[in-house]
Amino acid sequence: MRQTEGRVPVFSHEVVPDHLRTKPDPEVEEQEKQLITDAARISPDAAQKQIQSLNKMCSNLLEKISKEERESESGGLRQNKQTFNPADTNALVAAVAFGKGLSNRRPPGSGASVQSGQPGAGAIIAGASGIQQVPMTGAPAQQQPMLAGVQMTPAGQPGKMPSGIKTNIKSASMHPYQR
Amino acid sequence: MEAPPVTMMPVTGGTINMMEYLLQGSVLDQSLESLLHRLRGLCDNMEPETFLDHEMVFLLKGQQASPFVLRARRSMDKTGMPWHLRYLGQPEIGDKNRHALVRNCVDIATSDNLTDFLVEMGFRMDHEFVAKGHVFRKGIMKIVVYKIFRILMPGNTESIEPLSLSYLVELNVVAPAGQDVVSDDMRNFAEQLKPLVHLEKIDPKRLM
Repeated sequence: MRQTEGRVPVFSHEVVPDHLRTKPDPEVEEQEKQLITDAARISPDAAQKQIQSLNKMCSNLLEKISKEERESESGGLRQNKQTFNPADTNALVAAVAFGKGLSNRRPPGSGASVQSGQPGAGAIIAGASGIQQVPMTGAPAQQQPMLAGVQMTPAGQPGKMPSGIKTNIKSASMHPYQR
Repeated sequence: MEAPPVTMMPVTGGTINMMEYLLQGSVLDQSLESLLHRLRGLCDNMEPETFLDHEMVFLLKGQQASPFVLRARRSMDKTGMPWHLRYLGQPEIGDKNRHALVRNCVDIATSDNLTDFLVEMGFRMDHEFVAKGHVFRKGIMKIVVYKIFRILMPGNTESIEPLSLSYLVELNVVAPAGQDVVSDDMRNFAEQLKPLVHLEKIDPKRLM
């Protein structure tokens, strides 16, 4: 009783077969013996072939499983994989290089590029309604007067967003970057 | 930028021709954090540096067809910094082997009466924007991640709105002319940032 920590109350004849068993159960032993005789009966070639086909099936299965896993992961990732937007890249580079889309330049393409990432609320105008003149206070006397850019309107933007068509009046002084 | 070294050539004025090697890309707002993490790991260990700059581009229209462009930049958040005047030449059309956009560049620090001076000289402001972002450094390479804000009322830098939902990422090096190994280093660094950002040489003329 002491030795088994109180699990075996009496070391009797019933306990012995269960606790001191080293061979498998008789039925199991029978089945195993049968399998062994069957296996010995097949010729070594057939045995080899069976082994090979088993290996191939196992490896196929493994491959399928791993591919499935990988694809589902990357599939899940791919939705939010878009970490950059090439149209945005172009718009930004153009803005820095020659001011496309900034204060007094009319951005022909920027409306489209901005729209790609636009949250639902924003309304981009490709307006036909009223041409509005944005007063340019203090702008140096210069070539292009009025410009209504196309822009994105984040919801709740205070102040008036100039909407409408561009009025890009080019006089004799040409577009500085025209080539 | 430190003063260029003295040359052995007869002094006819001028400085060493510095070229700017440039690679550009962009990253969407939602991926900005991961990009910053990656840059923090890749770049030199320094305090994360943010900046808020106001840049104005001035044109001088002469009789020639192409006007002369100068860029004046001032810091809006750091006090006491000089204004930065920059000239950028036309991109060198060169071999396709060159992985970066290369153009001549001249950088000058000026005092804060720069705009008055330029206007007196005959320059007129063409456009302006506000740039807000982070700057990292790795050796001689500088990586800048910034958002461009359009200024709604000319001269008023308080009313600004973002130009797009992305940040512009620029990798640039200012080095003396002829050092093409620089562009290889840049390209290797750009590889590290894929697939988050694709830094490539973008010809601005293509985007006109």
